[in-house]
Amino acid sequence: MATTAQNIEKDLTDLWKSSPEDKTKNLGLQRVYTTNLVAYAADHEEGFRVEQILNDLAEKHPGRYILIRPAADSTETPLRHYVSGHCFFGGKEKKVCCDLIKLVAQREVIENLYGFTFSLLMPDLPVEFWWPGNLPYQNVFFDKMAGQANRVWVDSSKFKDPLQSLARLSAFWHSRYPHTLLGDLNWIRIQRWRSLIAELFDGEWAKHLKDVNRISVAFGEGSQPTRSFFLACWLAAQLGWVYKGNRISEFPEKLDFEGPNGKVEVILKPVPVKDAKRDRIFAVGLTTGGGNSGMFTVVRDEDPHSVTARSEFNQKVSFSRVVSFEHLHSNQLLDVGLKHLEPDAVWRKTLHLMGTVMEKPDLTPLEQK
Amino acid sequence: MAAPILLENPLRQGLFADRVPAPCSLVIYGASGDLTHRKLVPALFDLYEKHLLPASFSLIGISRSKISDDDFKKGLKEALKQSEPQLSDSLWNSFSQNFHYIAGGYDDFKAYQALSVMLDKVDQENGTAGNRIFYLSTPPNVFENIISNLGAAGLAKEEKGFSRVVIEKPFGHDLESAQDLNRKVKEVFKERQIYRIDHYLGKETVQNLLVMRFANSIFEPIWDRRYVDHIQITASEDLGVGGRAGYYESSGILRDMFQNHLFQVMSLVAMEPPVAFEANAIRDEKLKILKSIRPFNEHTVYQWAVRGQYGPGFLAGEKVPGYRQEEGVNPQSNTASFAALKIFLDTWRWHGVPFLLRSGKRLPKRTTEVAIQFKEPPNLLFKNNVSDLAPNVLVIRIQPDEGITIKFETKVPGMTMEVRTVNMDFRYGTSFAEGTSEAYERLLLDCMLGDATLFIRGDEVEAAWDALMPVLNNWETTEPENDFPNYEAGTWGPAEADNLLEKPWRKWRRL
Ligand SMILES: NC(=O)c1ccc[n+]([C@@H]2O[C@H](COP(=O)([O-])OP(=O)(O)OC[C@H]3O[C@@H](n4cnc5c(N)ncnc54)[C@H](OP(=O)(O)O)[C@@H]3O)[C@@H](O)[C@H]2O)c1
Repeated sequence: MATTAQNIEKDLTDLWKSSPEDKTKNLGLQRVYTTNLVAYAADHEEGFRVEQILNDLAEKHPGRYILIRPAADSTETPLRHYVSGHCFFGGKEKKVCCDLIKLVAQREVIENLYGFTFSLLMPDLPVEFWWPGNLPYQNVFFDKMAGQANRVWVDSSKFKDPLQSLARLSAFWHSRYPHTLLGDLNWIRIQRWRSLIAELFDGEWAKHLKDVNRISVAFGEGSQPTRSFFLACWLAAQLGWVYKGNRISEFPEKLDFEGPNGKVEVILKPVPVKDAKRDRIFAVGLTTGGGNSGMFTVVRDEDPHSVTARSEFNQKVSFSRVVSFEHLHSNQLLDVGLKHLEPDAVWRKTLHLMGTVMEKPDLTPLEQK
Repeated sequence: MAAPILLENPLRQGLFADRVPAPCSLVIYGASGDLTHRKLVPALFDLYEKHLLPASFSLIGISRSKISDDDFKKGLKEALKQSEPQLSDSLWNSFSQNFHYIAGGYDDFKAYQALSVMLDKVDQENGTAGNRIFYLSTPPNVFENIISNLGAAGLAKEEKGFSRVVIEKPFGHDLESAQDLNRKVKEVFKERQIYRIDHYLGKETVQNLLVMRFANSIFEPIWDRRYVDHIQITASEDLGVGGRAGYYESSGILRDMFQNHLFQVMSLVAMEPPVAFEANAIRDEKLKILKSIRPFNEHTVYQWAVRGQYGPGFLAGEKVPGYRQEEGVNPQSNTASFAALKIFLDTWRWHGVPFLLRSGKRLPKRTTEVAIQFKEPPNLLFKNNVSDLAPNVLVIRIQPDEGITIKFETKVPGMTMEVRTVNMDFRYGTSFAEGTSEAYERLLLDCMLGDATLFIRGDEVEAAWDALMPVLNNWETTEPENDFPNYEAGTWGPAEADNLLEKPWRKWRRL
C-alpha cells in the first residue's frame, strides 16, 4: 500500500479495530495522546535502539510517535511505512494504547519529509523532536524540524566532537530557532548531581558559596568529560563567575574563572575506571577559602546505587549522608525532560557560559556549506 | 515565615524539585503510635528519596513508652520495611541519623524542658536553624495539654526560626469543644502557625478539583443552578469499624467523615473563584460555602438527614458481622455507620441545587467521588426514538482510580436514530504514569514550606461543626425512626436514603 497520510490513518484505524474474538479482551481499550514525538535514527541499528526506547517511554507519555530512518539500500522503495500499537495496563483491567508510525525512506526523500511528518501529528499537542545521534552539520530535515517543533532533544554524549558541536549550539540556536527549545539528555544526566550539590548549600550553608575557590570533578578516564564540563559551567553560571582563560578546543585539565572573591580554579580529573561508561562523573568537590576552610563533596560509593554527600569544616565533618543514586536510561531521561514544557533557563544560561569558554565555531551559514 | 530556600541558594534554581523546604526539626508527639509508623515516617522517607527533605533535618519522637533511641529507630525501620522491602541499611542509617526519642508524659513539664534543650543542641549540631514543627499525633484528649506545655516552655515563640503546630483530626468533638480547642491553641500559637490536618486535602485529585474548575473555561460557565440539577458526593468504605470501635462508638459517621472530609470536598466543588491561589484566599471562599449551609431545623433534620447502621451481611462472598456484633461495640448501640444528607447552600450560584452527601461503612466498595448531574436537555428532536435523554454527568473520582468521566449522549452507528449514553474517561493513572503521592507526603512538605493552603483554618472547622450540630444533637437524643440495623453489610445503605432524592429522575449513583 502506498504511503500516504490517508493510508496511514486507515492502517491505524484497522489496528485499533478489535477483531470479533478480541472483543472481550479489548474491553476498555483506550487510546491516549499527551504528546507528539518525532525521532530520527541514522541507520537500522540505531532505529532498533530508538524503537525500544520509544516503546518504554510510551507508558509514561502515551502519544503519537513517529520514527524516521533512512532505507538501508538504495534499491528499496522511496518511502514505506509501518504502524504498530503500544499498549500497557493502566489500572486493573483497562489497557491504554498509543501508536508508532515508522517511516523508512531514501535519504533524498527524508530531506523533504518534514511536511508529511507534520501532517501525521496529533493536533494541539506539543511536538518534540528527538535527534539521538551526532549533531549534523548540515541536514535539511533537522533544520526544518528544528524550526517547527516545540523542542529538539539532542544527546551531547553522542556527539563525535562535543566541544565543537556545543559551541555551535551555543552560538546559533537561539538566533536560528528562536521559538524552539533545545534540550540535551546529557544535561538531564547531571541533574541528580546538581541537586546533590545544591542541597549541601541549603539554608545557612548558602553563605559559603561566595567563598568557593576550587572545584574538582573526577570522571572516567579515556573519554570526553562532557558532563563534568557541564557541571563546572553550571556552577560558574549560577555563581556568577567569569571565564578568564583562553578559549578551548579540547577539554583541558584546568579552567580558570574569576568569582566574586577572586580566582576560582576548576580541575577536570580523569580517574581509572572499570566499566565502559567513561563519561560518568565519579566525584565532585568544592573547596572554600576565606576564614573558613570548607570542603563540600559528593562521591560515588562502592555500591553503584549510592553516593555520599558531605561537608567538612577545618577537617571536621559537619554533615554527611548517603542517598540512593539511579542511573537513568535514555527513556527515563526523555521521561524527565518531557514532563516540563517550559524553557529551562538554567540550561540556557549554562550553554551561554560554555560559549564564552569554547573556541568560537565556524558559523558559515548552513546553506553555504 | 522562612524564605523559600530557592532565594538563598542559587544552585537550587531550575531543579525540577525546587520545592525544598528550609532546614528544620520535626517533633512528633505520640511517636510510638500507629500513624507515625504507618504514615508519617514512610511519607518522610519518600520525601527523602525524592530529595525533598532538607539536608539538615531532624526528627524527635516523644511519647510515654519508655524506649531507647535505638529501639525507637528499630521500630520505625521495621514499619518502613512493610512499604520498602528493599530498604538498605546504609540508606536507612543515613535517613535516620538525626532521629531521637524522648520518653515523657504529655503533662510532664520536665519533658518539655528536655525537648527545648535537645532542640537547641540539634540546631547547633545539624544546622536546623531554629525551625520547628510540632506534630500532635496522639489521641485528641491530650492535644490541649501538649499545646499549653509547649507554650509554657517557650517553644511556640518564633525567635530564631519558625514554630508550627500540626493538629491531627478530629479537631473537637462538637462545636463547643472545637471552639474551646481553637481558643486554647490560639493562646499559644498564632493562626498562621497552626496546621489542622484533613488528609483528604492532600490527595492529588482533590487538589485537581481546583485546577479543573479554574484552569479550564468550559466548566465554570455551567457550574451553577441554571445547568446543574444536583450534586452527589459519596465516600464509601467496605471495611467495618475494625479495631477502632472505641473511637467510633463516640464519634459515628458524621464526625468521622462529614464534618471534615465531605464538607471540605463540597466546599471546593461549590466555592467561588478565589482571588489568588493562596492559602487565605482559598480558605476565605471555602468558609463562605460552609457558612452558607442552610441550617437544619426540627423538621428538616428528619427530611434531609438519613442515618443507618449495618447489620450482618456479605462482602465479596464472605460473611461479615453487623455493627452491633463488632468487638468493643455496645450490643444496643445506636451509633450511625451510614449517613446521607441533603444540603442546600444559600448562595446566588447554588440556590435550590441539592448537594447529596453520603458516606458509610460496610458498603459494597471503597470509593470517593463527586458527581455533578446536569439538567436534562429538552427532548424535542429525538422523542420518536428515545423516551428520555439521560442527563450529562461529570464525575470526579477521588479514590481509587483517580480521574474524570463525562457521560454524554451519542448516536449509535447505523441507519436508525438511536441514542446511547457513553462515558469519556480520563484517568490519572494512564495519562500520567507518575504515581500520585501519598497525602501525608504532600501535607508534611507543605507544612515545612509554610504553605497552609491544604490545611483547615480555625473558622472553617467551627463553621463545619456549626452546620452539623442540629443533626448530631437530634441523632444523639432520639431513637432512629427505623430500628437499627437498617441496612445489610455489603449493600448501598438504607432504603430511606432514597427519600432525599425528591424528584423521580434523581437516583443515587450505582458505583
Ligand atoms: N492511624 C491513622 O491512620 C490515622 C488517620 C487519621 C487520623 N489519625 C489521627 O492521628 C492521631 C494519632 O493516631 P494513631 O493511630 O497513631 O493513634 P494511637 O496509635 O492510638 O496513639 C498514638 C500514641 O498516643 C499515645 N496514647 C494513646 N492513647 C493515649 C491516651 N489515652 N492518653 C495519652 N496518650 C495516649 C500512645 O503513646 P504512648 O502510650 O507511648 O504515650 C500512642 O502510641 C489521632 O488523633 C488520630 O485520630 C490517625
